[in-house]
Amino acid sequence: MPAINDDEPQGPQLFSERPEWADVTPVPQYEGFQPIAPILYTPQYKDATDYFRGIVRTGEKSERVLELTEAIIRMNPAHYSAWQYRYHTLLAIKAPLDEELKRMDAIAIQFLKTYQVWHHRRLLLTALHSSSRTSPSSVKSALEELAFITRTLATDAKNYHTWSYRQWILAFFDNADLWEGEMGFIERLLTEDVRNNSAWHHRFFVVFGKGSGLQRGASQEDSETVLKRELAYTKDQISLAPNNPSAWNYLRGVLEKTDTSYERLRSFVELYTVSQVKPDQSVLDLENPGPGTTAELPCVAALEFLADIHEKAGGDEVKKAIEIWKSLANEHDTMRKKYWEFRIKEASL
Amino acid sequence: MGSVRPTPTDGYPTPTSILQSATENILKARIPGHALPTDSTPVQPTLQRQQHLRFLLRNLVQGFPARYVSQDASQPWLIFWTLQGFSVLGVGLDPTNKKKTVDTLLAMQHPEGGFCGGPGQFPHLLPTYAAVSAMAIAGQPGPGGGWDQIDRKKMYDFFMSLKQPDGSFLVSHNGEVDVRGIYCLLAVATLLNIATPELVEGTAEFVASCQTYEGGFGNASYPDWALDDGVIDPSAPRPPLGEAHGGYTFCAFASWVLLQPYLKHYMPASRPQINMSSLLRWLTQMQGIAIELGGFKGRTNKLVDGCYSWWVGGCVGLVEGLLGERISKPSPSHIDSEKDEEWDDVDDSVYNRKALQEYVLLAGQHPAGGLIDKPPKNADAYHTLYCLSGLSAAQHHVIPNETRKKELLACWADADVANDKLEAFRRENFAFALSWLEEEGESRFVGGEGNRLNATHPLFNLTVTHTENMMAHFYGRKVPSRYKKN
Repeated sequence: MPAINDDEPQGPQLFSERPEWADVTPVPQYEGFQPIAPILYTPQYKDATDYFRGIVRTGEKSERVLELTEAIIRMNPAHYSAWQYRYHTLLAIKAPLDEELKRMDAIAIQFLKTYQVWHHRRLLLTALHSSSRTSPSSVKSALEELAFITRTLATDAKNYHTWSYRQWILAFFDNADLWEGEMGFIERLLTEDVRNNSAWHHRFFVVFGKGSGLQRGASQEDSETVLKRELAYTKDQISLAPNNPSAWNYLRGVLEKTDTSYERLRSFVELYTVSQVKPDQSVLDLENPGPGTTAELPCVAALEFLADIHEKAGGDEVKKAIEIWKSLANEHDTMRKKYWEFRIKEASL
Repeated sequence: MGSVRPTPTDGYPTPTSILQSATENILKARIPGHALPTDSTPVQPTLQRQQHLRFLLRNLVQGFPARYVSQDASQPWLIFWTLQGFSVLGVGLDPTNKKKTVDTLLAMQHPEGGFCGGPGQFPHLLPTYAAVSAMAIAGQPGPGGGWDQIDRKKMYDFFMSLKQPDGSFLVSHNGEVDVRGIYCLLAVATLLNIATPELVEGTAEFVASCQTYEGGFGNASYPDWALDDGVIDPSAPRPPLGEAHGGYTFCAFASWVLLQPYLKHYMPASRPQINMSSLLRWLTQMQGIAIELGGFKGRTNKLVDGCYSWWVGGCVGLVEGLLGERISKPSPSHIDSEKDEEWDDVDDSVYNRKALQEYVLLAGQHPAGGLIDKPPKNADAYHTLYCLSGLSAAQHHVIPNETRKKELLACWADADVANDKLEAFRRENFAFALSWLEEEGESRFVGGEGNRLNATHPLFNLTVTHTENMMAHFYGRKVPSRYKKN
């Protein structure tokens, strides 16, 4: 028997080397032929997945399956079958799902960009709280989950699945306190980065997701109050950094959703279509916050917006829209020349 | 050669603008005449075909390196990305490798229907699309050819088992709802002729509900406020989950287009709607400015990435195809411009095709072979395909052709479409999908004809020939040749 060499690295044992797994027959991936385009697996990955195929074949659902699926997930968090089988196993052995959620925290942080990590949490929350969403303990869980999401967003402020999942949590629990708490969170993120489009989208979801103007909440705000607040907020953010497409898209979204005329923004928008910041703004117009001294003008999005105002006004104003689109095509936004020409063509019909 | 304007920051830096600036500093070196003195590789707009073919072939024959374990649940995708990459580059597989490919794919078919990410895994809509698409390239009818070994009945049952009351589909059992899954399901159902009204009922409405205020599409929508005892109330809120995103937008809009035959036959009076103008605006807004070489981004205020050449660039092509004459008729007032006159005179697009080609050729190619997100990233199979497909989409106009559609409808002369509504639906699916053809004389190649790629079908990302062959087989029709005899 060879002596054990202390200098050799002792990695985790393969499942094939563990006596407690000896009763499982590992199943190789391709039996009997050489596949095209094979992946050159590590021995650890091949071993774990051979054993996974083995227990799937027998249908085993036990504690040790949790160990096996976790090993696979840590090597390949996108292995959706391992996640699916893990979920079924948890249910079959009646494992405590809140402990599973906690256990998955570290994995979520490590593998943020993987769908399955977030979807698994969603399955667990659904299983735990479907029938009791409004109970205090459920709301407490939701708050903890939102706090967890906030922590992960600190690492990756625009992670798509994380934001989508946060929206789902809010909608699923549909609790007044949860909705109310979001505005402060969103504003904090937009203060950190006013160009974070995910945060703007989230704001739209929170304010308008369940229907224009009103979210359930202790304070029954009417639609006009919400509209005024959102317009004021967005205008302030535009004045901080005018060349921010997220804010302009949000502005358009608010107007469309509330069926408000673009005309309402004319005085504001015109402040941003000039070539230079007006040096003396002795009257501070809170309704129409203007660009700061470092703003780069004219702002392309403002020109586009003004053209839309002219187009919607119709009649003689359409000519003004065409002039603006020409200036965008030839000077200010030449990459989109074809699009501006298309707008001219459509308006000329 | 003037200096190229950076994206304006208004003297107000945030993490987004800082990252954007850093990226622009790297990208601008790829603009002809702007290379850094330290750059030894002069960048030419020449497609390095041989290098890319070698990159793809190496993966196919030698295998994928260990880091691709992250794609172990996407093995059909690795095959599809590689095979379609070859197709776009105009190269076919030899019969031995075709057979090997077919056998490998069949090992991933699940006994209960659908294809899996790998043998012994569970069936899933995304690998199902990749496997069937790879079959379209490598397979054929007959024993061992692959096509007839696809269990279409079980696949249909698998699809139906995933269907949700809001018209969406889970991607797998206990999986997520995701508009990518819907695209994959519809593309496969169309190719294999297994679409039925029962399968797609409510799906168009679901897709429409994924459109965000920005005009693009998110990955799903929240159904519960609109669901009353399993039935959707169309007036109730069904907000999108997730911001407008290039990949999801392609999948949503391609799904929308694939659903047109269903809407025409089963919902002529009460069709759901999407906002085409805000979609078109969002798509064109995703194209980067000159300092970004006109590549596409996937989301507002994020960075350009070569793969969006297909997801977003290709999607604009789809919109152009659907809007038809509104886009292509010549403008009544021609805009005078000193630059690019020759190109502009003949290009009817609504986005800057020339710039997108430049992005792929100047920023998207890796010097060692394969294509990339952006410099200095490494090449991978996914970016290789989608950069090439995007380049192809920018070179060619593939749009619905009325004459071809008539020829295709004529293949069904023996069918009783007047009385058999399902047959009429199948006929429309067939004729609509196959009516998309490369518009003759409308192709343009930055860097010259040597950069020419094969045209790709904007709905499937397969060549028109591969699409035709597969559909002719599964719809049981003899399709007349696209090439006119002289």
